[in-house]
Amino acid sequence: MCRGTARRAPTVRNSRRPNHKMETTMKTIFAIAGNTFKETIRNKVLYNILLFAGIIIALSISFGQFSVFARVQVMNDFGLATMSISGLLLAVFVGSAMLGKEISGRTIYLMATKPIPRWHILVGKFIGVYFTLLLNFAIMSFFFAISLKLSEGELTIMHVQALTLLFVELGVILATSLFFSVLSSPTLASIFTIGFYIGGHFNDLTGMESLTKGASVVAPLLKLINLILPNLEHFNVRSAVVFNESIPSGYMVSAIAYGAIFILIPLILAGIFFEKKDL
Amino acid sequence: MITLENVSKIYNAALESKPVTAVADLSFSVQAGGITGFVGPNGAGKTTSIKMILGLVQPSTGKVTLMGEPAGSPKARQKISYVSEQPYFYEHLTAEETLKFLCEMKDIPKGDRTSEIDRVLEKVELSHRRKAKVKTFSKGMQQRLNMAQALLGKPELIIMDEPMSGLDPLGRRLFRDIFRDLRQSGITVFFSTHIIDDIENLCDRVVVLSKGKLKYQGDIQKLIDQSSKGIEYRLTGDQAKQLDVHGSTDCKVTTAPDGTVTVVAESTENSLVSKITEAKILPISIMPIRSSLEEVLYDPKEPQEER
Repeated sequence: MCRGTARRAPTVRNSRRPNHKMETTMKTIFAIAGNTFKETIRNKVLYNILLFAGIIIALSISFGQFSVFARVQVMNDFGLATMSISGLLLAVFVGSAMLGKEISGRTIYLMATKPIPRWHILVGKFIGVYFTLLLNFAIMSFFFAISLKLSEGELTIMHVQALTLLFVELGVILATSLFFSVLSSPTLASIFTIGFYIGGHFNDLTGMESLTKGASVVAPLLKLINLILPNLEHFNVRSAVVFNESIPSGYMVSAIAYGAIFILIPLILAGIFFEKKDL
Repeated sequence: MITLENVSKIYNAALESKPVTAVADLSFSVQAGGITGFVGPNGAGKTTSIKMILGLVQPSTGKVTLMGEPAGSPKARQKISYVSEQPYFYEHLTAEETLKFLCEMKDIPKGDRTSEIDRVLEKVELSHRRKAKVKTFSKGMQQRLNMAQALLGKPELIIMDEPMSGLDPLGRRLFRDIFRDLRQSGITVFFSTHIIDDIENLCDRVVVLSKGKLKYQGDIQKLIDQSSKGIEYRLTGDQAKQLDVHGSTDCKVTTAPDGTVTVVAESTENSLVSKITEAKILPISIMPIRSSLEEVLYDPKEPQEER
C-alpha cells in the first residue's frame, strides 16, 4: 500500500474556448452513447436477431413449392414486416426502459452530478440505443439477404430504400419513447409509445373527413390525434418493394426530413422536461 | 462554497395524502476549507438538501448556489464531486471502465486518465480489482470505488451523503484517512452522517438539521462548549468543612464514603466558586460537565419523525 503519493491530480480542462466546448459536448455525448451501446449489447438485447434469422430462413426454405415471383414477394413482405416489428419492439422497450432504469437504479447520479447539461445524457442515450438498432438492422438485413437468395431473389436498391425509411421510423419511435420515459414510468412509456405507433400508422384514417366531421364524441379526439401525431405511413414503402415499384429519390429525401423533424421534436421536448425533473 | 437561502422543498404526494415538507425555509452556508458535517436524524432533510445542492432536485422556493453559480448549472458542478450513500454503478462495466467513463464525463485530458485512475484506485486500495466487473464487488468495495470516482480530477469540494455506511472497520479507517488527506490538500468536504464518532473526530464545523429546519451551524468546538452543564469540584473533607459547602444553597453536594466531597455548580458565577477562588484552595479535581454530543445533536425531548 502506498497511499498519499505525491502525484499531482490533473485539473479539468478550461472549457471557455467555444471549439473546446463543442468538442467536449461531442465527447461526452459519444461517451454516454458508447456506454449505452455497451450496456445493451452486454444485456443481450440482440438475441431477437436469432429468432428473426431462424424464422426467415425456415420460411424461405418452406416456400420452395411456390413460383419464384410469389416466393420473392412473400419473402419481401414478410421479411420487411418482421424487421419492422422486431425493430419496433426494441425501440419501444429498450428506449422506454433505458432512462427509467438509470433513474430507478440511481446510476443517473454518476452523470447528472458531473459538469454536463442533462440533455447530453438524453442525446447520448438516444444515439447509443439507435446505434444498437442499426447493428440489429444490419445483422437482420444480412439474414434477410440470405433468405432472399435462398428464394432466388436478391437485395435491390428498393430494399435499401425501404430499410432506410424503416430505420428513420424507428428513430421517431425511439425519440418518442425517450420523451414518454422522461414523463412517466417505463411501463407507461411503453404503452404510450405503442399507442403513438398505432395512432401514427392510422393517421390517414384519423384524418378522414367522414370520421372527423359530425357530432360523434370520437370525432374531435380523432382530429386531435391526426393533428399531433406524425403520419408514420410515410415510412412504409413495403408495398412498393413487394410490387417492384421504384421509389423516387425526392420522396426519400422528404420522408427522411419529415422523420428528422419528428425525431428532433420529442428529443427537444424531452430535454426541456428532463432539465427540471427531480432525480 | 455552498449557500442555501430560504430553501424549501415540498413533495406533492399521491392524491389522498398531504404534501410532504422535506425542507422548510432552510438557510446555511459552507465555507471553503476543512470538513463540515451535515448532521440530523433520519428524515431531517439531509439527503433532500444535498440533492438540491447538486441540482438533482429543484427547490420549491429559495435559492441554492454552489461555488457562486446557481445549483444545477453544469458550471456549478465543474469543480465538485459527489459520493452517494449507496454506490450506484453500471454492473456491466469493470472498475477501470467505470472510472474511464467518468474521466470522460469530467473532461479529464485523455493523456492523464490512466495515471489518474491508477492514483485513485491506489488511494482506495482497489488496484488489484481494476479489471473486475463492478457487479462482483462487495458493498464495501463498491463504496470504495464510489470514493475513488469522487477523487478523480482535482475537485475543490466533495459532497458526500453518509459515505461510511456499509463499510467495515478497515474501510472506515481508510475513509477517515482519506478525509484527513483531503483536509490537508485544502479540499472542502461536506458530508452527512449519523455517526457521532465521525463528527467528533473529523469535523471542523457542523450544520445540524432537525425536521427540515436548521438547528445549529458553526464550529463543532463551540457547540461542545455551549453544551456545558456546570463545573464539578472534588474536595477533601477538610476543604469542604473550611468552605462550608454543606451550607451552600446553589450547589449540589455529595459526600463519598472515603470522605471526599463532590460539589457541582451550574456556572462559575456561584458563591462557592468565589469562596474557593478567594481561599486559594486547590481542589482534588475540577472538571467541566458537558452534555454528550449525541445529547446536543439529537435532543431526546424533541420528537423525531420518520419521513
